[in-house]
Amino acid sequence: MARSRKRTLAGELRDVAKGWRWGRRPVIPRAAEAHTPPPRRWTFPTDWARTPAARAAREVILSGVMKPIVWNETSPEVFGLDNLEGLRGPVMFISNHSSHLDATLIMTTLPQSWRDRTAVAAAKDYFFDVWWRSTFTALVYGGVPIERGGGERATDKVRELIRDGWSLVVFPEGTRSTDGWIQRFRHGTARLAIEMGMPVVPIAIVGAYAAMPKGRSWPRPGRPPVRVRYGRPLFPEEGETHQQLSLRMQQSVAELFDEDRTSWWDALGRAHRGQTPKLSGPAGPRWTRVWEGSRPVRRSGKPPTWR
Amino acid sequence: MTRPGFVLEVDERTPPLLVHEGEGFRLQRFPLGTRVIYPPDALPRIRDVRGAIRHALANPHDSEPLSELLKPGMKLTVAFDDISLPLPPMRSPDVRQLVLEEVIELAARKGVEDVKLLVANSLHRRMNADEIKHAVGERVFRSFYPNDLTNHDAEDGDNLTHFGTTDQGEDVEINKRAAESDLIVYVNINLVAMDGGHKSVPVGLASYRSVKPHHNVHTMLHSKSYMDPRPGHSAIHDSCARMGKVLKDAGVRIFTIETTLNNETFPEPFGFMNKREWEWSVKDQAVYLAAKKANDAAPPDLRHQVWMRLQSPSGVTGVNAGDTDAVHERTLARLHQQQLTEVDGQSDILVLGLPYIGPYNVNSIMNPILVHCLGLGYLFNMYRNKPVVRPGGAMIMFHPAPWEFHQVHHPSYVDFFEEVLSETTDPSTIESKYEQHYATDPWYIHLYRKSYAYHGVHPFYMWYWGAHALDYLGDVILVGGDPKTCARMGYRSASTFRDALEMAGETVGRSPSISYLHVPPLTMADVR
Repeated sequence: MARSRKRTLAGELRDVAKGWRWGRRPVIPRAAEAHTPPPRRWTFPTDWARTPAARAAREVILSGVMKPIVWNETSPEVFGLDNLEGLRGPVMFISNHSSHLDATLIMTTLPQSWRDRTAVAAAKDYFFDVWWRSTFTALVYGGVPIERGGGERATDKVRELIRDGWSLVVFPEGTRSTDGWIQRFRHGTARLAIEMGMPVVPIAIVGAYAAMPKGRSWPRPGRPPVRVRYGRPLFPEEGETHQQLSLRMQQSVAELFDEDRTSWWDALGRAHRGQTPKLSGPAGPRWTRVWEGSRPVRRSGKPPTWR
Repeated sequence: MTRPGFVLEVDERTPPLLVHEGEGFRLQRFPLGTRVIYPPDALPRIRDVRGAIRHALANPHDSEPLSELLKPGMKLTVAFDDISLPLPPMRSPDVRQLVLEEVIELAARKGVEDVKLLVANSLHRRMNADEIKHAVGERVFRSFYPNDLTNHDAEDGDNLTHFGTTDQGEDVEINKRAAESDLIVYVNINLVAMDGGHKSVPVGLASYRSVKPHHNVHTMLHSKSYMDPRPGHSAIHDSCARMGKVLKDAGVRIFTIETTLNNETFPEPFGFMNKREWEWSVKDQAVYLAAKKANDAAPPDLRHQVWMRLQSPSGVTGVNAGDTDAVHERTLARLHQQQLTEVDGQSDILVLGLPYIGPYNVNSIMNPILVHCLGLGYLFNMYRNKPVVRPGGAMIMFHPAPWEFHQVHHPSYVDFFEEVLSETTDPSTIESKYEQHYATDPWYIHLYRKSYAYHGVHPFYMWYWGAHALDYLGDVILVGGDPKTCARMGYRSASTFRDALEMAGETVGRSPSISYLHVPPLTMADVR
């Protein structure tokens, strides 16, 4: 009897894999796009990632895997951790965002006592779109999903965490910069800080864009220098609006960049005179912004003699 | 609102698509540009089916409520569709059970004592006790079986009543008990547009003499399509309507109850078969892979048993009762809502994956003649206006078509395949030369009446169902089909889909347009 040719398991797997959606979004045939409903609103559960076992696993992964990789592939330096002394959580760590290295750099440079109770707020549509990425984000970064532009409801889970004493890493730009320069801070971060009455610790990450910009999944070769500068905490003031706090946050990150470029003293003086350079980049066509934004960061100290 | 059906144009993003091939299935890649016709998503099921039935009986179309038609001392016959519906058999409770229970409850309350239940099996095999019990439910079964719940016998001359002929000379003869009843209540499941209406009583309770006038090659060739019962589109339905009129004129009172089901064809964990492939979840993919490998590795007998035990989780989407024509019009509208997909123009090639089940192999074997009937008879005809494939086009079907027959259910099929098809595959020649002999053979009649065999003439009808397609198509290719079986039936066999397309190129040219009718779930193309 002639039956159709039997497929091997490998052949079947290949067939199934063609429809397998490892990617960020399901691939829908073009003709079916108009006939396919948007995906269901569902939030990946992350409470398990804050259990003692998951926290222990996170510590092992961050210290034993992520940090060696980042420190091997780039040349990070950390400054200003002394600003955390005397501070009690929960706090909100805010930083410029230009690379996938950013969250790893912050989580691996934070002291262990802080790291243990810190979670990273991650965009739900990107980091929590498929199960494996969701699991990775929750386990390695203690990630909590945030709906971009989702309003009050988008931050319900975050509020719950803060009330439980968890500090939070937030990137107020909402997404990675495409040209290395800082984009406008969204006000949700400042609003949340005011509402929860929590201090905001500004962080400037310098050189991450040059090391691993958007579009790259691994740092450039040559161990590019990266510097992480922690600033002095900002405390929401009585009667301060979220717009005002948001401006202060941007200003403090800009001062940290200025401090990195020059010195703490010079940056302080310029800040006092209101002359801190803006971080929105040069005006002009996009290529000039990318060109300037990706300019290699100077290395600290003397170059090694054998280079 | 339920998502309507649509036509997918295969592009580089399209994953391999599910294709049924008898008691098996596969993921098949289709050439870019292939049109894939998907049915609308399953319509929402009626939550309170019993309530809907009660409402339908109390508010019938063009008729008094059933309770007013039921009177003490009357003779009531309740007939219902047989094993051929629905497909796959429905998970308990079958909708026939729910309707029957409501009807009988009303009859009991109205003091009707003379109640008989009839399986409207026409020339199909008798249903056995277990099958009847599944269809009608334990309570009805225990109350009426075996004395007052029986299969219709189309060869019991003493229990048939002849009503004369239609204006076209067609004999009208139905079950005597039904004919002499004060009221016939017919309980139908309308799976496809071909079912129901005047095809219920005038065919379901008919004799061979009364089936012959419309189940013949001439009628089939003039039924374009069987699935479009509008007057003038299907000669078989026109004939049934004429017979219905004869019965009505003779004073036979029929109260029709028709039900429609949604497209939830396969139960979990095979729910992925009801979905569009790019919407499969990781779980669906894993279940597909596991089911596929287990199915391929299973011994044929075990595989057959597993498939035959599948029961569909279909939901009821509509219940209408009253006058046959008024009810059927509403039933068809609901059915089209569930199955109809608009298609723009015809193609050179129609591709079909034939599933493991058709109306005549429930708890049985799908023999090659039933493959022919399912593919060229039923699924080819799942269109309105004009066929999906152009005249002279090619049809590619997926089915192994093994040379296998169920010796109890299909004895005349064995002989038909061996004796008749080995001589000719031309329906007209077969009809004129062989039909009478098979239809009147005493042994086949005995097996039909006393055993569980389909009537001796049944394989002829199966072959006639494909007459229109045979006349219309330029080529029929069966992917994975047994070469000997295919040769006997006048098909060509291909080992792969690519080979089949290559072979079809001889008929339709090297750059053919292709349409894949994605069934099951059942889809009907409205070709514009």
